[in-house]
Amino acid sequence: MKRVLLAVLPVVMFAAGAEAELVGAPIPIGVGVAQTSNVALFGQEQIIGAKIAEKYFNKQGVNGTPIKLVTQDTGGDEAGAINAFQNLISKEKVVGIVGPTLSQQAFGADPVANRLKVPVIGPSNTAKGIPQIGEFIGRVSAPVAKVAPYAVKQAMKQNPNIKRVAVLYAQNDAFSSSETVTFQETVKNLKLEMVTLQKFMTTDTDFTTQATAVLGANVDLAIISGLAADGGNLVKQLRQLGYKGIIIGGNGFNTANLFPVCGKNCDGILVAQAYSPEANNPTNKAFVADYRATYKKDPPQFSAQAFTAVQLFVEGLRKVEAATKKKITQLDLSVVRTELNKALREGSYITPLGEIALDKEGEINQKTFYVSEIKMDAGGKVGKFVIVK
Amino acid sequence: MDAVQFLQNFLNGISIGSVYAIFALGYTLVFSILGIINFAHGAIFTLGAYLTYSLAVGQFGIGGLLADLQLPFQFSFTISLFIGAILSGMAGVLVERCAFRPLRTRGADPLLALVSSLGVALVTVNLLQYLVGSEIYSFPSDVYGDIRPAFLLHIGEKLVVVRTVQIIIFAVSMVVLALLGYLIGWTRIGKALRAVAENASTASLLGINVDRFILYTFFLSGFLGGMAGSLVGTSFGIAGPYFGVSYGLKGLAVIVMGGLGSIPGAVLGGMVIGLAEAFVPSEYSAYKEAVAFAFLFAVLLIRPQGLLGSSQIQKV
Amino acid sequence: MDQFLQNYGFLLVTLVQQSLLAYSLYFPLMAGQLSLASPGFYALGGYIAAIMATAEYFAPWRDALGWGIFPLGWLAAGIISGILALLVGIPALRLRGIYLALATIAFVEILRVICLNLAITGGAIGIFGIPQLFESRWSYIWTFGPLLLLILCFSYRLDRSRVGRAFKAIREDELAADAMGINPTRYKVLAFVIGAVLAGVVGAMSAPFLNTWNARQGTFDASIAYLAYVLIGGSRSMWGPLLGGIMLSALPEILRPLKDARLIINGLVLVFASIYLPQGIVGAVGSIRNFTTQTLGIGRSEK
Repeated sequence: MKRVLLAVLPVVMFAAGAEAELVGAPIPIGVGVAQTSNVALFGQEQIIGAKIAEKYFNKQGVNGTPIKLVTQDTGGDEAGAINAFQNLISKEKVVGIVGPTLSQQAFGADPVANRLKVPVIGPSNTAKGIPQIGEFIGRVSAPVAKVAPYAVKQAMKQNPNIKRVAVLYAQNDAFSSSETVTFQETVKNLKLEMVTLQKFMTTDTDFTTQATAVLGANVDLAIISGLAADGGNLVKQLRQLGYKGIIIGGNGFNTANLFPVCGKNCDGILVAQAYSPEANNPTNKAFVADYRATYKKDPPQFSAQAFTAVQLFVEGLRKVEAATKKKITQLDLSVVRTELNKALREGSYITPLGEIALDKEGEINQKTFYVSEIKMDAGGKVGKFVIVK
Repeated sequence: MDAVQFLQNFLNGISIGSVYAIFALGYTLVFSILGIINFAHGAIFTLGAYLTYSLAVGQFGIGGLLADLQLPFQFSFTISLFIGAILSGMAGVLVERCAFRPLRTRGADPLLALVSSLGVALVTVNLLQYLVGSEIYSFPSDVYGDIRPAFLLHIGEKLVVVRTVQIIIFAVSMVVLALLGYLIGWTRIGKALRAVAENASTASLLGINVDRFILYTFFLSGFLGGMAGSLVGTSFGIAGPYFGVSYGLKGLAVIVMGGLGSIPGAVLGGMVIGLAEAFVPSEYSAYKEAVAFAFLFAVLLIRPQGLLGSSQIQKV
Repeated sequence: MDQFLQNYGFLLVTLVQQSLLAYSLYFPLMAGQLSLASPGFYALGGYIAAIMATAEYFAPWRDALGWGIFPLGWLAAGIISGILALLVGIPALRLRGIYLALATIAFVEILRVICLNLAITGGAIGIFGIPQLFESRWSYIWTFGPLLLLILCFSYRLDRSRVGRAFKAIREDELAADAMGINPTRYKVLAFVIGAVLAGVVGAMSAPFLNTWNARQGTFDASIAYLAYVLIGGSRSMWGPLLGGIMLSALPEILRPLKDARLIINGLVLVFASIYLPQGIVGAVGSIRNFTTQTLGIGRSEK
């Protein structure tokens, strides 16, 4: 006979009483981004940016008290993000969290943090509805609705005879599919003719159908909203097939990861940017200098946004100390979290992204966007974003 | 759709279809001999693409552990493609040794071979990610030498365009298919392979070393998989270590379409699916990924033995 | 205790949830059928529950039913998954061999592409802001836990029933089972449908648990993971999926410090387990016990 021991878990539930608990020193700030899975590429850039911020701001700390970044890998899925956030909140007792990498993960993990009243700043969540998850959720990644018109006007400056436009976008990417709407409106407002609208997937590699359709439509301008891999490939295939017109890339193109994909065919693409390494303010200069010293190249947008998120927390903590007239480490953890969340939404910050502020909902209010042109070197390997005025 | 558009789609279709064909042949060869689907085939596809890239560019990685590691040598594209495919074939042999032989000698449940090959695929893909990172690898555009990137054909007002890469892919695939056809149809090795596929125990009674021929098969299968990966890679770039997974799944649809274990069936299935995908209008391109699988379903409903398969369906 | 549940509550519930998904693969395997469709039905069930909980159209239902909308979602997910499973299963299961596995791979991929493109499923972003049944993640044990107990009782009874014996007869030898008067197609379809309904219900329960739902929930990778749970736990014992599901879904958390090497180890585990533990861990423990009882005469259990 079989004897089966069913280990029924003891289901004793305690009333969730918030015990008084002080903030640890150095002050722990959580970073929950993807360090594994196929979005690891972005998560690793975010870690780098956050680490540079940790080093930079610990010169003064929070009025002398240093901060400490606690990183947890979220992987690429929702369950991983929830696990990482739970760990950061209850085990590591962080005052706030920078993360996660993907918008989909944010919709999974942010409600958990929000219910536990822990402030979260999304460094790269661009989908609609993120700040609306709750009062503790904010972000520093702007939808670049404002920059689209400038990019198109810039193209018209280069070629005043532009009439026929092709618009292409990655429909499985949340950011690209909302960005393309702005581009399409701009095209309409500028009295240009959108002769073809092509869709693709970020996982696609073969863009023959789209490229031949664009060529067949005989256009002067192609506007692409996509990410580095798919967008770069699309540009390459377009150019190889002999497309001669101007190409505008959306904010997904704002990464050096694009260069190895389209090589010398990247040359001349106009890119709408939420971040430019050339932004002229002291924080950005320090950030860029530190990044260049280690990695010998310009920092990507993901790193800049992660840096900004950490900066907001540090400056927010300073404001909390000023308001309560107490050291953070003498305050209750739950009090710090709530006060910090309020402080984040007050005033503005001079960050690598330029001057920004969070509105009451937690949405970023970014003042400056850029349009750059990609310049590739003769070998087609090394590229550079050059701001066009 | 007018005639010009039709021609354009047709050209796009046969180019990618020819790669599907040689890739699916790798699956089908193993299936015809062992009656098992080798789920590591998609990983070999990826591996082949990376190997050819390293040999042709002379550099191992952009990211990962091997970042910026330079090779002391660099080959022309043709030689790299060939060596890459041979190394992939050797990887195929290794897969057989690790994941299939131990189970076969014990006479284990064929389902287990499926799982162990999935395991090998998982290890290969993640090892690749560990070693070379998840960056996109794009072959330099001058990899074939200094030739024009595309051919433009003016037909009246309309334009038909073909990238040189598409022509190269098609040509290489055809050469490979012809050589394979010759190998299997007209040589002693081919005859022995067919005998093993027909009935392994009879073949071994006839003095054929079955184990050795199984190894040959895996070598050929890996060779074809790696070759297909390299060709696709040169055309579209290598989109990270997961890049072979979707091709691996699509390959399954191709072999069911043509008939499991049927060699001409795999070629026909590849062409049919390549063409079907090319004829998906661009408005619906988001559904293109599902086309191969919709075909798979249709075949199961209407003609489960596939277009060219034999009617008896026994093997697992 | 409270602190412990705060930290690990989500993980513990995830272990139960993953084990349930392992059972959705286990039932078809009982009849010798390899189905990789579970992630498809799981995704489908989640979408159904998420749409019922958020869509404008269902607002009057939600007002009328209150929390009752949740069990209704489970029911709807189960029924729709069952019907779809019949449609997918009948053509594929007329055939012997690998066809079901291939058809189910195709099914999962087609479903994924469709969900990615429809407006009602929220496209790439999916559905978010799903209303909650409980405040804390840990409390979700009150939905997954009873379901697991139910499934364990069900497996226990099934093992000893006529249907269960028919499943096993088909697994051992389909032709012989056919000759004995068992209609293989009928039982194979039944086993497949049971698994599909279970996966659908688990999906419906998971949508509020994960707060959000999107097309990435149902992928080929997930199929492999569930298969690994069952085979490594042991596909021939009702305890196998539970053990495998708990062990393997805890593994990535335990291996957290290893980062990238994690998935490599997962793959190695699959290869080694299929070669050295063909009956899974439960099977291996069983044969060690048999060995000790028979050869050494120790640990003899009363029969």
